Amino acid sequence: MAIVSTTNLSKTYCSGIFRKTHIDALSGVSLSVEHGQIFGLLGPNGAGKTTFIKLLLSIAYPTSGEASVLGYPLGSVAIRQNVGYLPENHRYPPFLTALQTLVHFGRLHGIPRLRLLDRARSLLALTGLSDWANVKIKKFSKGMLQRLGLAQALLADPPILFLDEPTDGVDPIGRKEIRDILTSLRREGRTIFLNSHMLSEVEEISDRVAILNKGRLLHVGSVQDITAHRLEYEIHLATSPPADVLSALRALCKHVEVSGNRLTVHLSDQGQAQAVLDALRAAGLVLESFSPKKSKLEDYFIQLLKPREEA
Amino acid sequence: MKALWLSVLTFRESVLKGTLVFFFIVSNLILLFFLVALGVSEEGGTTSLTLFGSIISPRGIEGFNAVEFILRQLFGGSTFWVLLFGLFATAGLVPSMLEKGTVELYLSKPLSRASLLLARSAGACSGIILNLLYFAILIWVIFGIKAAVWHGGFLLAALCTIPIFFFYYSIVAVTALMTNSTGFSIMFALIYYFFSSALAAREQVLYIWWDNPFFQRFLDVLYYATPQISSMIESASELIGPDFMRMRVMESAGGFDPLPFLWSLLSSSLLYAFAAWYFARRDY
Repeated sequence: MAIVSTTNLSKTYCSGIFRKTHIDALSGVSLSVEHGQIFGLLGPNGAGKTTFIKLLLSIAYPTSGEASVLGYPLGSVAIRQNVGYLPENHRYPPFLTALQTLVHFGRLHGIPRLRLLDRARSLLALTGLSDWANVKIKKFSKGMLQRLGLAQALLADPPILFLDEPTDGVDPIGRKEIRDILTSLRREGRTIFLNSHMLSEVEEISDRVAILNKGRLLHVGSVQDITAHRLEYEIHLATSPPADVLSALRALCKHVEVSGNRLTVHLSDQGQAQAVLDALRAAGLVLESFSPKKSKLEDYFIQLLKPREEA
Repeated sequence: MKALWLSVLTFRESVLKGTLVFFFIVSNLILLFFLVALGVSEEGGTTSLTLFGSIISPRGIEGFNAVEFILRQLFGGSTFWVLLFGLFATAGLVPSMLEKGTVELYLSKPLSRASLLLARSAGACSGIILNLLYFAILIWVIFGIKAAVWHGGFLLAALCTIPIFFFYYSIVAVTALMTNSTGFSIMFALIYYFFSSALAAREQVLYIWWDNPFFQRFLDVLYYATPQISSMIESASELIGPDFMRMRVMESAGGFDPLPFLWSLLSSSLLYAFAAWYFARRDY
């Protein structure tokens, strides 16, 4: 079941005197997010990632197109009742403590008072802020504010979370903890919509990703498909391979790259792997490792965007 | 309940901004002044009001009431300062809600934008109004205890300041929403305050600038289409007692007139409605 579904969603901002300057923040984006997934939305700055979330939550209004969240059409109060949102560069009233902040936003969400205090305390524990519950948040670091933001987004126990750069400013240990929280939330059956610049992080935890550039959707697909190895193998030898072995390998493979005692071979089919190994053994070379080369999301991202940037 | 909670937080925010604390300190100093200075003197069978032992003389006006005179001056002065302090203390509360990173948090909650705006405005006004009520009630008590005059009209006039500030704040809310600027909304609201006084006296002041019926009707429309701050204060003062200065000049007493309040209720409701409509349509 699609939890989020958009059809040709577009947003044009008008600015300047008489609003004559038009900026297409989003152009005809159609995608869907299934239940229980972590969905990563990627793109360079100004790609339209934040605008996309804002349209879904009616913080901004679409110029054209349709969308639904949890089956409710855009603009429905039921959407805001059932989502958790962590905006980018969020700012909380600095005079409140962490616990008061959660109570305040919980009350605005309409959570009953008795349930709210317990919920706020348990979320502070989950995000590692229990010891800071009664400290004014003006004393918080960026990383602590991000954790508090995540706790705030989880207050209403929502089935879907929209997180805009949740690990921005968080140290590596904190990032790992946030990733662990997100994966445990997925296990609970929640859907997480994640905007992030941290491609490695998205790759690690996302099930599917969409790549946006200048408001246009360039790719939607599973992370597994993007990062799957494409008959590319990395071979580590004890010594550098002699020229005659390289010639033999080039005859066998589509492409061979050499860097010292490391070889990268592109094969036409899986069966060639055995022939490559045989050729290396026949030459008496000692094989240290032979492993399929996994592409990184980052490589794919750059591959996809670079020609467009150059154009 | 959600909107009420936002109002409470806004009240708290306005208190922490410091201007309200300053306002509270000034109120207490004035209260202390009257507590120390006010007294009663009984000479020759006549009871007179004294300030630091000096009898407040009747100035040769028949029916002059020293208590009413002081309370009226106090009301006029304090209302002016309430509006001024209130403006500085609260004008930033709407723009601060619209700051990037804050507005998204509020708009993502299941509250209508109109409720958000009205709750924020109500919270902003409540700090000022509570301060004013504290001041007015204690002044009333001081005059009651020290001069044995329990003047109900003064309390009623003080109560009238509640709608006056709320109506005045509609100007601030609209300007702040449209410009996102605290400075501009303070400036505009201040200019409006003086403009409102000029509009109230348009027949004596503005009509003579240009003897043109269209110009004069235009001023009339402006007067009725915007909160009539000056007229409301003037009218509320009449609840305390007659304006002896006016009586000397015009030889007639005024009287409480509810019309400026009704017109202002209408015009500020329209302003708040416009603000809510504008807020509801805007992208953030």
